[in-house]
Amino acid sequence: MSDSKEKTGLKIPSPKKIRIAAFLGVMGPGMLAGLSDDDPAGITTYSQLGAHYGYRLMWVLLVSTIALIIFQDLGARIGVVTRQGLLGLVRQKYGARSGILSASALIIANIGTMTAEFAGIAAAGQLFGLSRYISVPIAAVVVSALVLRGSFARVEKVFFALCAVFLAYVIAGFMSHPHWGAAFKGLVLPTMPLNHDAIYLATATLGTTLAPWGLAFIQSYAVDKRLTRDDLKLLRVDVWTGSLLTGVIGFFVIVTCAATLNAHGITNITDASQAAAALKPLAGTLAEDLFAIGLIGAALLAASILPLSTAYSISDLTGRPAALDDSYSEAPLFYSTFGIITVLAASLILIPGAPLITILIVSQIINAVLLLPLLIYMFGISRDKRLMGEFRASNSMSVVYGIIIAIVAVCVGAMLWFTFF
Amino acid sequence: MKTPPVSTINTVAKKIVGRSDSALTKKSIRDSLVSVAGLIGRPVRDENGRDIGSLVDFVIKHDEATYPAVSGLIVKVGQRTSYIKGAKISSLTHNEIRISSLKINLEDFQRRDGESLLDADVLDHQIVDVDGLRVVRSSDLYLAPIDKEVRLVGVDISFRSFIRRLFPGAISRLPTFDHVVDWATIASLTSGTGVVRTAGQRSKLAQLRPADLADLLEDLAGREQGAFVDLLDPNLAADALEEMEEEDLQGLLRGLPAERAAELLSLMEPDESAEVMRDLDDEHRDAILAQMDKPTAKVLRELISFDEKFAGGIMTTHMLVIKQTDTVETALKLLIAHKERDVVDGVLVVDSKGRLVDHIQTIELVAAKSSALIESLIAAPYPTAVKIDAPLDEVIDEFSNNRGSSIVVVDEKGRPIGRILADDLVDALTDDEGRA
Repeated sequence: MSDSKEKTGLKIPSPKKIRIAAFLGVMGPGMLAGLSDDDPAGITTYSQLGAHYGYRLMWVLLVSTIALIIFQDLGARIGVVTRQGLLGLVRQKYGARSGILSASALIIANIGTMTAEFAGIAAAGQLFGLSRYISVPIAAVVVSALVLRGSFARVEKVFFALCAVFLAYVIAGFMSHPHWGAAFKGLVLPTMPLNHDAIYLATATLGTTLAPWGLAFIQSYAVDKRLTRDDLKLLRVDVWTGSLLTGVIGFFVIVTCAATLNAHGITNITDASQAAAALKPLAGTLAEDLFAIGLIGAALLAASILPLSTAYSISDLTGRPAALDDSYSEAPLFYSTFGIITVLAASLILIPGAPLITILIVSQIINAVLLLPLLIYMFGISRDKRLMGEFRASNSMSVVYGIIIAIVAVCVGAMLWFTFF
Repeated sequence: MKTPPVSTINTVAKKIVGRSDSALTKKSIRDSLVSVAGLIGRPVRDENGRDIGSLVDFVIKHDEATYPAVSGLIVKVGQRTSYIKGAKISSLTHNEIRISSLKINLEDFQRRDGESLLDADVLDHQIVDVDGLRVVRSSDLYLAPIDKEVRLVGVDISFRSFIRRLFPGAISRLPTFDHVVDWATIASLTSGTGVVRTAGQRSKLAQLRPADLADLLEDLAGREQGAFVDLLDPNLAADALEEMEEEDLQGLLRGLPAERAAELLSLMEPDESAEVMRDLDDEHRDAILAQMDKPTAKVLRELISFDEKFAGGIMTTHMLVIKQTDTVETALKLLIAHKERDVVDGVLVVDSKGRLVDHIQTIELVAAKSSALIESLIAAPYPTAVKIDAPLDEVIDEFSNNRGSSIVVVDEKGRPIGRILADDLVDALTDDEGRA
């Protein structure tokens, strides 16, 4: 009785933080994990999709984006509820062998993908007349200094600034004067040319959008950011925004390439910087520059997130501390993993005659193969009542997860088929 | 607030060598160690060597014993998962388990209180290495027969053993002796229905410093955090919570039942509790306050309602107040009664209307005659006082002008309602610096 009196007598102020400030505090995992999926490998794939097939395969991006939203959302939720990273949970629930195998595949794939990021920086740098022997070491140092020397909050702000670079693609998209009607038709009306290239590109699009390291990252980062269940609603906004933006940027890259390259019969490009160079006569120097700047920004962002994701995963797996706020002496494994991945990938790019194409293809294949078990593990974790409690996935959500996993399985199967046969 | 962990990559195994009370130092036990990870999936046979099924998991019972006994086996027989009582185990080797009685009752397994499953709950889960002061994942667990029962004696946290399990066949089953850590020095945090508790672990944990416990808590995952707090004595847990980073503490509180959170927050310094609770969401905070006793809840509500930018928001309500007509003896008794609180530097003296008159240091009280009246001790220097709504800047000015270790917060009528200690001010200023 007197309790209720107290409540009315003494007004407890509602949290001082206004909603936007609260959102900025929670924001991060979804934005960073999502947007770093638009890395040079991703931009290359989207460019190829647009250049090769015009607007026709837009819908593949839509499906990939939906899959991205659904599983990033799940990853963030698992992280917040269990306060553990993905690989730690895999080890705990599925045993040491599953944990070690997943981690090994992830490390190899991540080194390969990291090499691809540096390759993107090298290629984009060359568009501005910068030698790779200058651009790649600078990028490696910048990325490491940023993550290793900055405080958590500062690191995140720089990441967000990098995200702004993606606007370049949107501008480039508008400058290419696309056929919007055809673009939206391609987005909602699925057509599938049944040939080797189309299936391969569709699978690559799905694989590059929904990357294993992104899934591992979002969960660990939510843990490191110490988000709690109270933050789940805002986190969901962050994840959806990040994933949608990822799709939107992909959309503009495809649109740009479809409106220019494909319309002028340039259908065969092998990397994103080629796409940028090809844009010049068709959409002007500014479009080329924007495309290249976007590429550098994308590569830098992904090059920061990738080693971070690897470091989190290894620490999770072994149960060692992993936090950006820890010092080196508190989390040696975490920081040495970060360093080794960065140095290794940068060196691979700089060694003359290193088999870059092979590295890229192999890492793409490992990523695709790893994606399937990781999604299945996440599905299993989401259904585990002991781990998830009241946040356990409902039956209807499980059906959605199941459908996406089935689509990924078909795509991965098709990709492997076309790679090896 | 954060202290570096005492050890980072220390070899805990080395510490164990030379422990005279450890079961692992006995050669007979070391030689009979069997790897749990290796045995999972291996055949369970009867005395004649006929297959009954394959091992799914071990069930252990937690009681006061330092080394918990295996109370049962979960065995896959055909398509069915059954339970066999631990007492039936006749022998245990790296390759198989033999069951003694010819007639074996297969029961359905159900989780019970005070029991946990070694593979499902402990192996590969987070555990706290109390000697090494760190959170690790267990790579393997070791069983050995002691006192006619199969008991859990050791846990392996080495990376080598973790990798060993990747290999097929017999290699994955051989214990790596040199990396075994005594179970008694480990706090394991998961079990089916409750928390793993053993007497030995509790007393070991009680010897840790709050700051070290806070570091361990920060490294643990959600469910394990709650379990670890349950292992601690509430007073020690409250001390450890005070040392935690605020975001970590909020996460921890979110994972605890409101009742438990209320208990711990009541034991913490009120200003520290209020600071954490200020940033919880309204519903959660009300749920916790509802579980507290009325006076504590009232004090906390008041403190929470003050903004951190003002004296009232950073003060502690812990203080000792005495009337000027009381004797020195009364004051000393009051001090002794509150010796565990950080208020023993002295007492505040008030007049008949409760208004602040002076602050008398403990040393002055000790030096005075016990029958003397407090009044007789009142003299300059008089304590610095600020109003409850004084801004932080004013508090800082007062501190730097007077060079004291504390100032008194008074209400509009001059009655003391709290104190600001130097460390409260330091906390307020570090928060202000904006650790975003």
